[in-house]
This record gives sequence, C-alpha cells and structure tokens, in this order.
Amino acid sequence: MSLSLYYFVNLTAVHILMTWSLYLPYRLRRLHFMVIANMGIAAYAAGYLTTVAGWPFGTILPLGALLGATTALLIVPVTADAPPFTVAIVGLTLISLTTLLIENSEIFGGTLGLFGIPSIHRDPSAGRLLLLAVTWLCGLAVAAGIAVFERSRWGIAASIAFVDRDLAESNAVNVRQLSFFVQLAGSTIAGIAGVLYAFTMRGLFPGFFSFRYLGVLMTILFVGGYTTPWGPFLVAPLVWGIPLLLPEGLQSWRIVLYAVALIAVLMLRPEGLVTRDLLRRITALLRRPQKSP
Amino acid sequence: MTTLIAQLVNGVSLGSVYILLVTGFNLVLLVARVVHISYPHTVVLSMYAAWYGMSLADNSITAGVLAAVFTGILVNAVMAPIFARFSHRGVQADINSTMVVSLAIGLAIVELLSHGFNNGFPVSFSGFFRAGGTTFGTDVLHLSVAHLLALILSVGLTASLFFLLYRSAWGRRARAVAEDALGAAIAGVPVALTQRYSFLIGGTLAGVSAIILAALLGFASSTLADLVAIKALAVSIIAGLGHLVGGIAIALALGILEALAQGYLGGTWANAVALVVLLVVLLLRPKGLFGSRL
Repeated sequence: MSLSLYYFVNLTAVHILMTWSLYLPYRLRRLHFMVIANMGIAAYAAGYLTTVAGWPFGTILPLGALLGATTALLIVPVTADAPPFTVAIVGLTLISLTTLLIENSEIFGGTLGLFGIPSIHRDPSAGRLLLLAVTWLCGLAVAAGIAVFERSRWGIAASIAFVDRDLAESNAVNVRQLSFFVQLAGSTIAGIAGVLYAFTMRGLFPGFFSFRYLGVLMTILFVGGYTTPWGPFLVAPLVWGIPLLLPEGLQSWRIVLYAVALIAVLMLRPEGLVTRDLLRRITALLRRPQKSP
Repeated sequence: MTTLIAQLVNGVSLGSVYILLVTGFNLVLLVARVVHISYPHTVVLSMYAAWYGMSLADNSITAGVLAAVFTGILVNAVMAPIFARFSHRGVQADINSTMVVSLAIGLAIVELLSHGFNNGFPVSFSGFFRAGGTTFGTDVLHLSVAHLLALILSVGLTASLFFLLYRSAWGRRARAVAEDALGAAIAGVPVALTQRYSFLIGGTLAGVSAIILAALLGFASSTLADLVAIKALAVSIIAGLGHLVGGIAIALALGILEALAQGYLGGTWANAVALVVLLVVLLLRPKGLFGSRL
C-alpha cells in the first residue's frame, strides 16, 4: 500500500470517528464542539507519553478514551442541560483555550508542534498496516455501539427529543441524562480518534485542532446527513478525498468549498444526502421479492 | 498605579468595542432570530476592507472608514436572504440551522482572509491607525485618540440604537417582532423587512467596530476573527442571549478584565485568562446572568 493511500484510508477512518463523535450529541440537537478539544488533548498526551515517557501504543489508546471521558466529565454535567447555543459556545471556547495552552507549552513543542512520535511497530510498514487495522477496528466497534444505541430505547428517545423535548419528557424520557450520555460518549470517541491521529501523523501541530477542522467535520456531518450514522460514513471519503484531486491552487481554498457545500446542502436538502427515508427506501427495495420469469 | 490606570483606560476602550459587537449580534438575534456566529468575522473582514481601501487611496482615513462600513453593511445584506431561507413562513428561524450556516460563513471568511489578502500575512494599519493617534494626558493618565474614538463612537452609537429601538416606527416594529414574530405578522408588521433592516443596522455597527478595533490594535489578522468571535459570543451568553443592557455591562467587564490581564500577565496569557473566566461563568450560569430574552 502506497504511503498516500495509507494516509487517505487511515485519516478517513479518523474523520469518520470524529464525525460520529459529533453525530451522537447532535441526536439531541447539541453541537458538542468540545470533541475537537478532546481530540487535541488526547493526541498531545499520546505524543508526549510516547516520545518522552516511552509508553507503548497499546497502553496509550485506552488512556486516550479515558482522557476524553475524564475531560468531558468536567464540562458535560453542566452542558448536558444547557441550551444548544451555550453548548456550542462552550465547545468553541474550549477549542480556543486548548490550542492557546498547547501553543504556549514548551513541553508540547509550542507553535512548532510535537514531532518524533514512533511507529507502533519496529518495522514502519508493518506498523502502518497494524495501525490501519486497529483504526478500522475501532471504527467498527464504535459503529456497532452506535447501531446498538440507535435500536435501543435511548435511541428512540433521542429521536423523539430531537423533534420535541417536551414530548420526550412527557413520555418519561430523562433528556438531561440522555444528553449527558451522548456527550460523554462523543468525547470518549474523540479521545480514541486523537490517539489514532497522533500515531498516524507521527507529528502534531496545534493549528490542526482548530475551527478549520471543525468545518471539515461539520461538512461531513451535515452534507452526509445527521439523521443516520451512515451519512458521515459514506460522505467522509468524498469530502476528505475530492479536494485532494483538485489542482494545487484550489486545494488551499478547500475550506471555502466545504463552507459552500455545507450552506448549499442545508438550503436545498436540510437533512443531508443520506436520510432515514432514503435508507428505508433502499431497504425496501432490497427486501422486495424478485419476480420469477 | 500608572499601569493600573493605563490598563483601565485600555479596558474601557476595548470594552467599548465589545459593546458594539455584542449589541449588533444581539440585535440580529432578537429581531431576525439568527445566531449570527460569523458576525465578529464580518467585523474583521471590514478591518481588512479598511486596510485595502486605505492602501488603494494613499492611506486616506476616509477611504478606510467608508470601505469598512460599506463592507459591514454589504456582507450583512448578502447574508440576510440566506438566513431568511431558514425561517418558517418568514417568522421563526431554525436557530440550529442558522448557527451552522453562520459558522460555515465564518470559516469561509477566515479562509478568505488567510489567502486573499496580503499573501495571508496580518495587515498593519498606517498613519493614525498604527499608533491610535496622538497621545495626550497627565503623568498618570494617558489617552490616545483611539481611546476617545472608541468611547465616543460606542456611547453615541449604542445610545442612537436604543433611541431608534424605543422612539422610532422601525424600533416599535422590531420590538414587536422580537417579542412575538407571528403575532407581529398577524398585526400587519412587515416581519421580513424589519428583520432585513436589523441586518443592515448590525452591518453598520460591524463596520464602525472594525474602525475602532483597527485604531486600537493597529493590525488585523485572520486568527483575530475567531478569537473576537469567541469572546463576543461568550459575552452575549453570559449576559443572557438577546439581553441588550446585560450585554453592555458584561462586554465592558470583559474589556477591563482582559486589559488588566494584559498589563500584568502579558498578551497571550491575557487571552487565556479571558477565556478561562468566560468558560467558568458559562458553566456556572449557562443561561446567562441577566436571563435570556429568547
């Protein structure tokens, strides 16, 4: 596998994980932007622990999840019941604060970044394949978790609360508890994605964990469709990949292209490209009995 | 003591800019029900327009001022119909959608500033804008023209806005729409037109804020947009979304806090202190100190 293909495939998985970390809280209309900060914290912690303390990847990966969850526990008890706009602004503030603190910390390389993260295997090419497998396995595990959630009582409750919170509460749904759970889950996934990103790139730059990256994720989520987890899964490779095919001069304008795509989709197809209705139709089509000749 | 007084003066001036920013943001939020996250980005875009206008017109301040105000109004006028697409029957906007769209517009503006002007480098203002004008005062109290400009324009424009809101026909319509858009529509108030005017007034405030910010800072950069945005939006939440008077008080307090932190801790940590304080208050009072008007 070529190096560029490896980066494309692995980073696509990381972006899908990150978009799902936004998708889950948005099931309750909460734009939980804090996940970018969770990702940044986990990535830098991974970079520091492996380069300075020499910790192995196998220990750092679960630690990333734990770190994502722990940092979320400081914030989520409040944002679980806060108005959607407050949740979004708390997230944006945390992104700014995290970037600012990393940029001013010498142990993390300051504005220059943190480099020299080792491969997860002595043989770099075997390390890449191993990491690819681990990343996609994490993706599968998260997908399975989301599938279980979607079919559970909580998933159905989230769908009701998305449309009408009062209706959900009158049906004995504890919206605050549900919101707490999905935001915590989102931050935990972001912690895992942060560690995977650090070991994929093997170098970290604080500017990455910024509003620009948030723009990429928002485009994947809203263009793909926020009503099903399939939207981000199908659209992430396209959103992430198409700009790579553009001429070099246009590549630096990709965020503008994302923004235009995001606004256009919200105006023309508010639920995104992959909707529940579309999935229902496809399922019905596949289940339709074939007529014998 | 001298540092304290100097930083208090700086703080009040900076707070004046935040007042204009938050007032413009709240106006659009109250009347058009649009969470205009990219409003501070419009301000920074207007700063760049002022720089561009001045560089075209041999550093003419008039050209810079006109370019900034024109850009503020134009950008808001272009955005108004986009946001209008997300209002149901023209009276109630989908706040989450407007927030996402506004965020996308903000990202596009930052990208435009990063690539489209001065090869991506921060722009520096010349002449009056560089040093904030002549400095005068006593041994203890130093004032620059920029400080006075910030105070006078902020007080003048905020007072004018309140006069407009409480003493004009448009103000009555705007308050009716803010109170109950559907009821106002039934009573014959042209809701869409009133909302568009709120965008134009917000644009004017954005242009003037850009001029004051340019005079106070002497430069503009693409990263400034996001930082200003966070602070302005956090102030509006802490005050209580849509609470005009609360927004003024909190904006002034933030300006003073930031300037004091800058005086005693240095530039970078001043931002960190401001963000931490905003975060703590947001977490303690997520619905605002003065109560939301939404």
